[in-house]
Amino acid sequence: MSRLSQLAINEEGFVFDPTTGEAFTCNKTGLAVLRCLKEGKDCDEIAVVLHKMFDVDFKDAAHDVFDFIDHLRVFKILAQGLEK
Amino acid sequence: MKEIVVGITGINSSDNPGPGVGVARSLKEAKDLNVRVVGLAYDAMETGIYLDWIIDRAFIIPYPSSGPDALLNRLRHIKSVAGLDFVIPCLDVELPLYSRIEQALKQEGIGTFLPTSEQFRLRGKDQLLEVAPAIGLELPKTRVVNSYEDMMAALDDLTLPVVVKGAHYNALRAYSSQEAFGCFHSVLAQWGYPIIVQETVTGEELNLIALGDGAGGCLGQVGMKKMWTTSLGKIWTGVTVQNRTMLEAARRFIETYSWRGGFELECIADGEKTYLIEINPRFPAWVYFATAVGVNLPAAMLRAALDLPRMLPESFEAGRLYVRYTEELITDMTSFQKMVTRGES
Repeated sequence: MSRLSQLAINEEGFVFDPTTGEAFTCNKTGLAVLRCLKEGKDCDEIAVVLHKMFDVDFKDAAHDVFDFIDHLRVFKILAQGLEK
Repeated sequence: MKEIVVGITGINSSDNPGPGVGVARSLKEAKDLNVRVVGLAYDAMETGIYLDWIIDRAFIIPYPSSGPDALLNRLRHIKSVAGLDFVIPCLDVELPLYSRIEQALKQEGIGTFLPTSEQFRLRGKDQLLEVAPAIGLELPKTRVVNSYEDMMAALDDLTLPVVVKGAHYNALRAYSSQEAFGCFHSVLAQWGYPIIVQETVTGEELNLIALGDGAGGCLGQVGMKKMWTTSLGKIWTGVTVQNRTMLEAARRFIETYSWRGGFELECIADGEKTYLIEINPRFPAWVYFATAVGVNLPAAMLRAALDLPRMLPESFEAGRLYVRYTEELITDMTSFQKMVTRGES
């Protein structure tokens, strides 16, 4: 089971990993990306969701998604090469 | 239910707390048990003596250096005046002593639930080279050092910084070879050989408390992460975690070595790898955390030792928060006077 799938996420952006006890906070955009990743969406699909949800340009949304995914990799929430 | 009188050591709940108060509090909260707690203290200033809603009565006992006969005589006296049925030694240094008098205590009608001498040996840091792989955990790159030459070879082989440890106590971090030799001399002077030199690993500090029944069965376990520690490295805030690797390792430890009694695993989790750092052969000071999340291990120990009906191993939920705090207690001098003059409250 991937680490991402085990994360407990609340409405306010508090993210808790029950396997390591680590806790993170993220903003509404981050929260939307995390939820999409848990649903198995790829980067383009997530960018479409952000584009609709926040009324932003698709290119900007895609950039944000890649940027956020890089952060998740740094925190080892996503493994390298996954969910691309 | 018949009252069970339980003697508990390690009742000094200071900035470096012993597990005794947590063990006593856990027993008091077991609704199916009727426990009267006798605190066994080494000094009249041990704080548990004064917590009379948890510790019903307290006695001074001789320091472990006084030997087994002095301890046995004192426990006989305590049994004669307070009716001692069971003893839970909560400090590492006491365990070999209580092991030696286990049979004599049994003859006096005082029960224990201790690891055997052979099991107790496993908690030595020099034994972790064998234990870690046997229970499915990693060990940071480690060298066991028995001479100055070994130390030089170890430093050639390991990447700095390293941790220099005594087999049972003390751990000093060194960032240079010169500093490592300083640590080596310091540990050697205090604890002798073997000395363990280990590469440092980074990650989340995870701990686990569990209880083995002595026949390979696990009577309960709880994992947690230390979120905040004191300057002495003691937990101040923590959270329960369901780390499968660590939970499975504890089960394997109990099964492989037929561990009897409580213990704590100290681990560091770094991504997929979980390293074993230390095994403590008794309940840790945060034992009440496990009780409060539904896994009352001191009560389970008492039931197993006294052949009382056992309850199924309880589960626990991840994300329960532990917050330690300080509180002042104001009382008169009566208890203190009695402890100083009579050795009992």
